[in-house]
Amino acid sequence: MRIQPFVNAGLRVLALAAAAGAVQFALAHGSKHTRAQLQAFEAAFMEQVRIGDLLFHGDPETEKQLGVSLSQTGMACAMCHPYGSDTHPYEFPKWQEQMGEFATLRDMINWCIEKPNQGTKIDGDSEAMKALEAYIYWSNRGSSLDPGRH
Amino acid sequence: MNDIDRDLRERARVLRRGEQRADAGTRIDRRIFLHRSLWAGAAAGAASFGLFPLLNTIDMAFAQEGQSFRFAWISDTHLLPDDVNTRFVEKTIRAVQEVQAMDPSPDFLIFGGDLAQLGDPVELKLGKGILDELEIKKLFIPGEHDWYLDMGKTWVEMFGASPWKLDHKGVRLIGLDTVGQAPDYWSATNMSPQERMGHMATLDGSVAGAWAGLGDEQLKWLADAVADWPKDAPLVVFSHNPLYEYYPPWNFWVRDWRAVHEILAPFNRVTNLHGHTHQVLYNQFGKVRSIGMLATAWPWPYAPEGVPALTRCMVRANPGDHFDGVGWDKLAFAGEGVENEYVMWRPKEDAVFAQEPHDSGCADNINQRLHARVADRMWPY
Repeated sequence: MRIQPFVNAGLRVLALAAAAGAVQFALAHGSKHTRAQLQAFEAAFMEQVRIGDLLFHGDPETEKQLGVSLSQTGMACAMCHPYGSDTHPYEFPKWQEQMGEFATLRDMINWCIEKPNQGTKIDGDSEAMKALEAYIYWSNRGSSLDPGRH
Repeated sequence: MNDIDRDLRERARVLRRGEQRADAGTRIDRRIFLHRSLWAGAAAGAASFGLFPLLNTIDMAFAQEGQSFRFAWISDTHLLPDDVNTRFVEKTIRAVQEVQAMDPSPDFLIFGGDLAQLGDPVELKLGKGILDELEIKKLFIPGEHDWYLDMGKTWVEMFGASPWKLDHKGVRLIGLDTVGQAPDYWSATNMSPQERMGHMATLDGSVAGAWAGLGDEQLKWLADAVADWPKDAPLVVFSHNPLYEYYPPWNFWVRDWRAVHEILAPFNRVTNLHGHTHQVLYNQFGKVRSIGMLATAWPWPYAPEGVPALTRCMVRANPGDHFDGVGWDKLAFAGEGVENEYVMWRPKEDAVFAQEPHDSGCADNINQRLHARVADRMWPY
């Protein structure tokens, strides 16, 4: 609760920055970040993690809001991947055996949606995809990067 | 005696010391690590990776004359209504048909819980219909997925209450209820039965807390149930959850496992068979052997920590083949004790146990660091 005013302040700063390109450039490259800014960045990221977490766990409301249908089998991603385990985001891109092609994490997410879950694949740049990616990476933070590993 | 046999014998002596702590199987100390390295070095290529091929040695501890019989385990079918998911139905039917085809016929089937996915009477009825096709004696223990929609009402009506005990050909069989004693996490927030079930059905959720346990009343029952049993006579304990501490955040344990161990410690021939973990597992606590049974529905990954050092890890399942990594268990009680065969539905040429690190469900995860989820700790979850 106590950090909320800081978060709000930070979001206002971000909104201002977005409205003025020059200011945005300065924030990104020139000036020292304030605590409020860093908290705002974190809040923006964690909101995506939260949405991704809900999608990953099959929350029907979140799917509805984002207009996606990730599963038609009653299965959710987390049922085979508790804590995002065995998603191995740190191994992508790699040759993906099941697909028979060189694949990114987003390709793999869509494969899981279509094959085991029998859902409808989602746009690679969609809000739902970014949120799923955020949750999977966040769950596996601290893992060692090992792209290409099977 | 060759080097490998010497190593096996010495390792068995270390692991079976009288003063061994109950949970020692979950730790790898320097000495065991050294043994593991020696074994891997001595038998590279032939031995399963990073595993203790100890089972035959340990089985000797249970050698005693007695009647032989066969039985089968099916669990974790997680049935949804058949218009939602036909794969789970298909796999349950396959398991039942294969048990029925066992020759000679098994004495009984033990169904180890999680027949349903969301405790829906429709799901439980579907499961009962499939299991009714099996014309042998059937024993049941519940899983959490069967219980928390109506607090076990339908389950008990259909399959009877647990715990129970019965003596079969010189073996005392005990069926526990490790799921029905969750602390109340639903009343304070006025959860609907569906919400209560939903949290319980989320393995990596935190809302339902440490729900797996026997509870004081059942612990007293267990102590009474074994009080008249000779210390050297065989005991087989069936439970949905493992009876040791593997990975509490996913309830891969019972919270009162220390008390369970105290009750079982005086007995020399105890085997615990459990479901819930959907993976190949082996452990020992004290003199109790514990074997994890397969699910028919889907395999869980090995937990980020706590995999018992005695476990020979199963292979990485192919996510493109929904019959891979799952199946049922064919069991026999012979003079040597309980013998288990994993009937895993994968191509015949592939082994159940990992042969190399890159094919192992646990060794493959050397780079993986995992963190608990967040969304269920935020309002309104």
